[in-house]
Amino acid sequence: MARIGVDVGGTNTDLVLECNKGTFFHKVPSTLKDQSIGVVEGIHQICEIAGIDKEAIEVINHGTTVATNITIEHNGAEVGMLTTKGFRDILHIGRHKRPHNFSLHFEVPWQNRPLVKRRNRIAITERILPPTGEIETPLNEDEIRSACALFRKRGIKSVCIGFMFSFLNDAHEKRARDIVQEEIPDAYVSVSSDVANVIREYERFSTVAMNAFVGPRSAWYLRNLEQKVKDGGIPAKLRVIQSNGGISTIDGCARKPVSILMSGPAGGVLGALSEARLAGTDNILTVDIGGTSADISTIAAGEMRIKNPRDTLVSGHAVMAPMIDLETIGAGGGSIAYLDEAGGFNVGPRSAGSEPGPACYNRGGTEPTVTDAQVVLGRMDADKFLGGDLPLDPELSHKAIKEKIADPLGVSVTEAALGIIKIVNNNMALTIRSNSVARGYDPREFSLMPFGGAGPFHGVALAELVSAKDVLVPIAPGITAAMGLLGTDLQYEHTRSVITSLFNADQGAIDRVNATVAELKNVGKADLENDGIPEVQQNFDVIAEVRYHGQGFELRVPMPKEGLALENVPDVISAFHKQHKADYGYSFDDSLVELYNVRVIASASVRHLELTPLSLGSQDDIKAAFMYERETIFDDGSVHMTPRLDRGKLGAGTRVEGPAIIIQHNSTTLLPPGYAAEVQDFGSLRLSKS
Amino acid sequence: MPKDINKPIDPVTLQVIRGSIETIAEEMAHVLFRMSFSSIIRESEDLGAGLFDTDFNTLCESESTPMHIGSIPGYLQGIADSLDDGEWYEGDVVVHNHPYLGSSHTPDLAIVIPIFHEGELVGYAGNTAHHIDIGAATPGLIIDVPDVYAEGMLFAGTKLYRKGERNETMWNFIRNNSRAARQLVDDIEAQIASARLGVKRFKELMERYGKDLVFGACNQLMDYSETMLRQRISDIPDGEYRAEGWLDDDGRNRGQTLPVKVCVRVVGDTIEVDLTGSAPQTPTAYNVPFEGSTKVAAFAAFRKLLLDTATSDTRVPSNQGSFRPIKVTAPEGTIFNPIAPASAEARFTQCNFMIDLILKAMAPVLPEEIIAGSSASISFASYAGVRDDGEYWVFLEVNEGAYGGRPDSDGPDAIDNLMANTRNNPLEDLAMHIPMICERYELRDDVMPGAGKHRGGIGVVKSQRMLTDGIITHESERHTNVPWGIFGGMEGAAGKCEIYNFSSTEPPRQMHSKFHGEEVRKDDVMAYYSPCGGGYGSPLERTPEKVLDDVLDGFCSPQHARDIYGVVLDLDAETVDAAATEALRQTMDTLR
Repeated sequence: MARIGVDVGGTNTDLVLECNKGTFFHKVPSTLKDQSIGVVEGIHQICEIAGIDKEAIEVINHGTTVATNITIEHNGAEVGMLTTKGFRDILHIGRHKRPHNFSLHFEVPWQNRPLVKRRNRIAITERILPPTGEIETPLNEDEIRSACALFRKRGIKSVCIGFMFSFLNDAHEKRARDIVQEEIPDAYVSVSSDVANVIREYERFSTVAMNAFVGPRSAWYLRNLEQKVKDGGIPAKLRVIQSNGGISTIDGCARKPVSILMSGPAGGVLGALSEARLAGTDNILTVDIGGTSADISTIAAGEMRIKNPRDTLVSGHAVMAPMIDLETIGAGGGSIAYLDEAGGFNVGPRSAGSEPGPACYNRGGTEPTVTDAQVVLGRMDADKFLGGDLPLDPELSHKAIKEKIADPLGVSVTEAALGIIKIVNNNMALTIRSNSVARGYDPREFSLMPFGGAGPFHGVALAELVSAKDVLVPIAPGITAAMGLLGTDLQYEHTRSVITSLFNADQGAIDRVNATVAELKNVGKADLENDGIPEVQQNFDVIAEVRYHGQGFELRVPMPKEGLALENVPDVISAFHKQHKADYGYSFDDSLVELYNVRVIASASVRHLELTPLSLGSQDDIKAAFMYERETIFDDGSVHMTPRLDRGKLGAGTRVEGPAIIIQHNSTTLLPPGYAAEVQDFGSLRLSKS
Repeated sequence: MPKDINKPIDPVTLQVIRGSIETIAEEMAHVLFRMSFSSIIRESEDLGAGLFDTDFNTLCESESTPMHIGSIPGYLQGIADSLDDGEWYEGDVVVHNHPYLGSSHTPDLAIVIPIFHEGELVGYAGNTAHHIDIGAATPGLIIDVPDVYAEGMLFAGTKLYRKGERNETMWNFIRNNSRAARQLVDDIEAQIASARLGVKRFKELMERYGKDLVFGACNQLMDYSETMLRQRISDIPDGEYRAEGWLDDDGRNRGQTLPVKVCVRVVGDTIEVDLTGSAPQTPTAYNVPFEGSTKVAAFAAFRKLLLDTATSDTRVPSNQGSFRPIKVTAPEGTIFNPIAPASAEARFTQCNFMIDLILKAMAPVLPEEIIAGSSASISFASYAGVRDDGEYWVFLEVNEGAYGGRPDSDGPDAIDNLMANTRNNPLEDLAMHIPMICERYELRDDVMPGAGKHRGGIGVVKSQRMLTDGIITHESERHTNVPWGIFGGMEGAAGKCEIYNFSSTEPPRQMHSKFHGEEVRKDDVMAYYSPCGGGYGSPLERTPEKVLDDVLDGFCSPQHARDIYGVVLDLDAETVDAAATEALRQTMDTLR
């Protein structure tokens, strides 16, 4: 019996295999044209490495960027849309706000790169009336059939349906779906009341249109992968990580790929979460630093945060799907440092990427990057990069920094390199702050967890900048995301708008809310049963999304376990006041409180990654781990002869005093003077002031 | 505040402090729109927030709506001239909106809190936000009123808190003088929470880096923005660049257009925007407060034109430095610089039109930077009624416009234009809370946008139906003055506004671009059609496939494609007839 986590990134496909022989890690190059080729190849290889029979694999959890890449490259399906007459251009108008305040030459993503072209948005006569959802004008079925004829003529196979006020009454959308399926039997059909059954027409339509846009290719990919795995003689169940961190089935994701747009970065946060559990730490600021960008999120009290659905944009389009609250900024190893025309010193967001890459890669890059600064400061040993697989040319780093930064500023190359590091760290620190402090968390109660290959270079500096308690470097920072895939639960979310004043809710109103919750629970239960989850393992969390009457943004509070009742309504109200105060520093204690949406999260625990503890080490380990030493420059400008230690040789409980550089394949941890690293039971490193 | 701290700060620390103050401004804005109640703040984000020094320099401002950005220094000067007690105490909170004491216009209340450091006043945290009703002559917006006293409550340096103590008398007064008192009071609370956060964060910054270093960095950042803008101005040949146009009317005297004249004087690295020759001040509310709006709009015009954030890698900080190279001149007693007690509440469309004219004036020397004529107006509507319980409901709506064609791309369609940058209200949310329902929200298809190599943007049509009797006031422009095309591009389309009754067969009434306090009946529908932008460059140079796209998408008729663009299509096959197109274009070209 074995389980595999496989995370497909831009460059590498990372794999983790857990079986009775232990835990194994492996990397293969990503096959970007068809990710499934690399995935299946990697599975075969890692089984060989572990020496297990591939028939022993029970589950494969997969993090994929297939849907994300379709949005970035804008090469999804040609989509047809049926919408309400009079409202054909909701997707074209969006929220009518420009992406730039001070620009005449800005782009408008939803107009320049529409999910559905106007010619394929067909207005249908029908009308549902607020606030009750009564039908004022019945659905004109003939118009739908003629729209389908047009779609057939244009070869359109993906159709989305979004009618006004369908969150109050979905009868017209459902009927329209049936007709489309009759008229175009092989169509991929997405319905707004299925995909995002909530109020606010632009966001709902944009979400269903996105589903239709990424749907056919994502579904094809997932089913093709499933088939390839099966054909490869692997009997495992294939599961996919969703943007909210839960896993779902191939079927579920193929129907609703809008839920896997952030599947890739979600793995990183999950990985951080399971590492945090192993280290017994509840509060974590995660920083996943890659080549071009850094993903930042906050885990408080052992729970990751879900983004307010009002804030979730994907490639400039609104998508109301639950996603882990993470912020991405253009700061990574490849971020370019430059001086602008007025002499301002900037690092990123432009990146040298992997082609041409940093100057030291000697692939034609002449602009200095963060990686070049690390090389110049003697932190990245040019001859040992990726275990010597990719030798770096430190002269090129030196030259780039000297010509582009140091000489124009009249400072030394070292000072310029330190400046690059300081600026990029500060950019990341500001985002960490806005993702934590600005949301009411005190960073002094949090450990900072840096990962991604370059993450542990920056850990201590970032922790100092944001005043984090200490730094926790995960076991394998280069593949934390893949490990995260083995540490999460099955999860399905369903939401519906139930606008109810809690202030004067009577029994009737409460019954309606409870009935909606019961309905959503049934849908979630069916999802879990489809996955073969027995009733005892099924778990349902009910969340109320609440606001003050008249506000535009909801906050989440848990619904009482026993359901809403006249007696416990005051508890919900006071929980909301409390949450409002925590988020904004103020609560309107005498204002009307309104329940807006209910959300049911149906989940089932699956077995998490079980790592075996490291064997106990001794202080002799440090001698054994010693590889060589070199001069290294630290952030304060001080120069120290700094030992390089092989992380694999440090046993549990070993304590290393800085300065030191702790090396493992794919990642390097910088331990400045005045800091000590303590090896935790399962192998993570805790860095703190000595 | 010590101004002698001119010692250059190392570029790294400078970037660190810049990032910190920008984050503070964004956090302040975030708290304000998330917490607020009225849709004009929470959905439209009609607000601004920032930090200021004791000379009223803007140190940083949130990226919210441009009309607010840059207006707060005017408020601060006005507060200094009118402050309760004549001085600031720690724990004070001031509300201010007097248009003859620096405000942008009366509904935009500023909340300002002084920042003290070791007992010394060192700066201010402040924000402005548009409130739906401050007790003016009619609910929401006003146009046809006699003077500034009809605009509602005027606050000048008024302390809502004094030394930390709440001035309950003032709060009661406010509560008793608004048709939407609850929203007004709660939104002021949200503004206070936002300003307090700014104070707290700025104090933390000073504790960390020291006051002198922080202010030294702020001064250097202002110089930096100034340098950037001056460099761009130096690249423009010295000279006087002029453009003129007109506004429909003042909202009362129908048929009497109001001239607007713009002269941009470029001398070395400075610019003067001279509005001399524009109309005298109007007898209605259709005037522009000079400090809080006229100047702000002129500054914004050049930030868009010369420091375009979409085309430049380098982001220039939002601070006072970007205002310094620009001087604005408007003679007293004119529409852009009225004298008290003239009312000056309805001031937005004039500002937007002034920017449009500045772009037109600069066309000869900045052909690759300017764009063709935009809708350059705004549609600002207030809908109001009285509920069964005797309480008012008031709803303010900003409708979008469209951009003129641009050197490298079409003008964006249905989007907030130039100075405006709000968000629309979700129609479903609106209908669940207010006795109104939307009948139509689409791109205009009754007219076509200005043809050109890059066509103008398409305006919007929005039809809102009242479900009870009520009152509508509407402020818009360009029912008679069509957005111009440029460099061979054709003109766009004028705006229009109609009122009809949903359950009646009577033909729609054509409305003026501005009307005030219009009493409407249940099921009356106001349909607003915004202007469409003009084209940039000759239509004969437009890529034929783009013309095909526009025909298929319903933005252009096949006839128009042939007659104006010289493009022949096979509509059944949905393709361009390339040979016929080339032949037709050649003939048309020789006839040009």
